[in-house]
Amino acid sequence: MRLVLPIMGLILGAYIGSTLTFQLPAVYIKYMSIAVLASLDSVFGGIKAIMEKNFDGATLLTGFFTNALVAALLAYLGDRLGVDLYYAAVFAFGVRLFQNLAIIRHHILTSFKNIKIFSGDDHERQ
Amino acid sequence: MKDNNYYLPLTIVFVFFGILLSLQFQAQNRFASDLSMQKTENLIAMVRGLSDKRQKLALEIVDLSSQLSSQLQNYNDEKKVMESITLQMNKLHIVNGSLPLKGSGLIISIEEFMPIVYTDLIYTINELWAAGAEAISINDHRITSLGTISSAEDDYNIYITVNYIKLEYPIIIKAIGDPNNLEKGLTLPGGIMDNLALFNAFPQLEQIDELEIPSARSPFIYYFLKEYKPEEKSGTELVSPLTTRYDSNNNLNPNNVDKGH
Repeated sequence: MRLVLPIMGLILGAYIGSTLTFQLPAVYIKYMSIAVLASLDSVFGGIKAIMEKNFDGATLLTGFFTNALVAALLAYLGDRLGVDLYYAAVFAFGVRLFQNLAIIRHHILTSFKNIKIFSGDDHERQ
Repeated sequence: MKDNNYYLPLTIVFVFFGILLSLQFQAQNRFASDLSMQKTENLIAMVRGLSDKRQKLALEIVDLSSQLSSQLQNYNDEKKVMESITLQMNKLHIVNGSLPLKGSGLIISIEEFMPIVYTDLIYTINELWAAGAEAISINDHRITSLGTISSAEDDYNIYITVNYIKLEYPIIIKAIGDPNNLEKGLTLPGGIMDNLALFNAFPQLEQIDELEIPSARSPFIYYFLKEYKPEEKSGTELVSPLTTRYDSNNNLNPNNVDKGH
């Protein structure tokens, strides 16, 4: 239930993005994709922090923007230098993303089990 | 305490994330549908499909243009048929009397003091037809195949009628045709003019280069007329009595045998 506001934000963002007439030049699509990957990683990191109850808004905000920007910049720099940093970024963010996902799944599973056990206890008490 | 504060940052992050995602989706879609990003095999297949399509369309063009030319041909034929039908119709209108006509001809005027009966008018008209008149009118009554010239009387006098309408003096007969021929037809020695002269009637004849004859008042509609073509008799049906005496097996046919024999 608490995720309603963020999900509304996501829908609003998607709507704004679809109404924007701005078209990304084809050259920058590659960097944009790595920025999206980085921001996705940040979002999952934030959700994981909420689950672990050590969430910090400033960390999430700064991490979101700097990760995205730096990832795109690094990929661009790699292209300039002739080093495929793009793949390094994909690998790093991909690994972290799946780790975060695994932890979130783990937390959800444990909380779900706890609820079940508690409700079972309640049932026995009645 | 930190736990309850995550709505705002997370929402902000999600808004920007949504913008990023939809932008990236759009860009990627455009990029993926770009021709330069297609695989060579796909491109070859596309080229083949398109050239096939083009060939089919070219065939269709040929087909359609031939159809168009045939339609044009049909249209021209129909136009010719229409023209000939219109010509025929005009001729029929002229003959029917449903068109006003113009041409050179003769005007015969008869004044009131001339003693004339309706048969004199009939003779005059007949003479004009015989002399080659193509259209005749009496006091603007067109004389067609259905025209009648007769007489009627009221309490005081007898008068001449044309198409059942009383004829007023002066009687003016207009006839389209060769003016000389028409005049000669009337003024033959012993002809209608001489005949009328015996009764002291001297109609005036006047040759006119441009006469106008009105159309008949009401066109006639034919209900019962139908074209009749006599059947053609072919030679094979003419059989001699000799052959009919025998049927196909060369036996004597008792029905066809003359009873007299």
